[in-house]
Amino acid sequence: MSIEVNNLTKIYRLKRGQKKLAVDNISFTIPDGEIVGFIGPNGAGKSTTIKMMTGILVPDNGSVSIDGLNFKKNRKEIMLKTGVVFGQKSVLCWDIPVIDSLKLFRDMYRVPKDVFKENMDAFSQILGLDEFINHPPRLLSLGQRMKADLAASLIYNPDILFLDEPTIGIDVLSKERIRQFIKNINEDRHTTIILTTHDVSDIESLCEKMIIIDKGSLIYDGTLPQLKSIYKTTDLEEIIKKIYLAGEQRNAKIC
Amino acid sequence: MRKYADLAMIGIKEHTAYAGSLWANFLAKIVYLYMQYALWTGLFSSNTGKNIPLSQDETIRYIIVATLLSAFMECDVIAWINGQIQSGDVANQLIRPLDYKFMIFAKHIGTSVARFVIYTVPLGIVISIFYPVRLFCREQLLYGILSIILAYMIQFLYSVIIGLMAFWLIVTWPLNMLLAAIYKLLSGAWIPAAMFPEFLTVINLILPFRAIYAIPVTILTSPMSFASICENLLVQLIWVAVLFITSEAVWIVGKNKLIVQGG
Repeated sequence: MSIEVNNLTKIYRLKRGQKKLAVDNISFTIPDGEIVGFIGPNGAGKSTTIKMMTGILVPDNGSVSIDGLNFKKNRKEIMLKTGVVFGQKSVLCWDIPVIDSLKLFRDMYRVPKDVFKENMDAFSQILGLDEFINHPPRLLSLGQRMKADLAASLIYNPDILFLDEPTIGIDVLSKERIRQFIKNINEDRHTTIILTTHDVSDIESLCEKMIIIDKGSLIYDGTLPQLKSIYKTTDLEEIIKKIYLAGEQRNAKIC
Repeated sequence: MRKYADLAMIGIKEHTAYAGSLWANFLAKIVYLYMQYALWTGLFSSNTGKNIPLSQDETIRYIIVATLLSAFMECDVIAWINGQIQSGDVANQLIRPLDYKFMIFAKHIGTSVARFVIYTVPLGIVISIFYPVRLFCREQLLYGILSIILAYMIQFLYSVIIGLMAFWLIVTWPLNMLLAAIYKLLSGAWIPAAMFPEFLTVINLILPFRAIYAIPVTILTSPMSFASICENLLVQLIWVAVLFITSEAVWIVGKNKLIVQGG
């Protein structure tokens, strides 16, 4: 499914009538079946944008359209096809075995029995899910919890997957496996994936397209090779640093 | 339906995850009940009961039934909702293809089932051993159960509304502390509502609290006319409707105010 974001704006109202423009008139399109890296420095408005794209926050202006559907009219329909993984928030129930949470999602998203079994087998094989499926999340390591969270968001074969810092705090080898897993999902199921991360190697190994935002505004929307050719270097980390630094300097001038 | 059954099951499992807390909770209820018993017995023996509209026996039956009901009706809905809004975990609920209130309600029912089996039933057995009297009016039992169901919904909707205040206040426990005292007193969970002085009775007529304990417990324990049973049930029905509409409105307005911090 493709996503169309038009003139999206979100203003946070702070105390004493102060306002903070978190997202400022952003527009972009994410084509069906692509993996898009969505990056920006801390506090750039990434999470706010993602939360508006997932229907958690209501935008102050503009619209999000998913295959022509919108949250006002087709909320449930969109939710049935969307998976979300927050690296810093677990969707699993803290005190009860992982398998119970997965079964809840199976029934919530009406997953047929054979699909559920097929997915469970696949997750066990690639993510090693069977090792900790009967433990509650509170007893899992961060890496295991992340894998369980990924499984919980993919058990119902969503068409769109939002990954908000899925590799935060994960060791190198597990990171590699999670990336491979995400790649496989995208290739096999043609899932559209939106990935936010601060880990440049995540983007290098996964994304074809990149969207960069800073201070709530869109800075770049294009492919990875294009970006590299603009800056005449293949070092993505260097490019991103330059972009962030330029943003800071621009900001300093305004102040 | 399966998904709601799953949620109820999760409610049961979450409530029973820590066995130690169950024992502590159960003992606390026994101590509370004994304290109430001792207090009322003392009160009645020092005062011949001439100013009190209920007899000693009626009062103690009332207190016992109210405690049995509260053992499974009082769940932590306020704390759940408040915690989720404050921590931002409510985001995880908003992305689901189900209604938030129904999800909470399913979990609430699960927790209530667990609490009924773990607290109400054993408490009932303990009471029947140490204080063997007929607690209920058999003829009114059916109306009593109907009244409990309505009270259960009122209690839930009230908790949802207070919990959702977190959209504005972020932290609702101070509000809850303030309201909890009013709630416990006016609902008749501590003291039979029939004993209230005139002005409290008047205030109570316009508030939903008495519909949670005073009405069902009175129907269960004291004989009354068919007309007044119907009147009481009607009052409960009206409160269910009023609180349902209010909670819906609070949800719709509050959701737009949501700010999910961090992450």
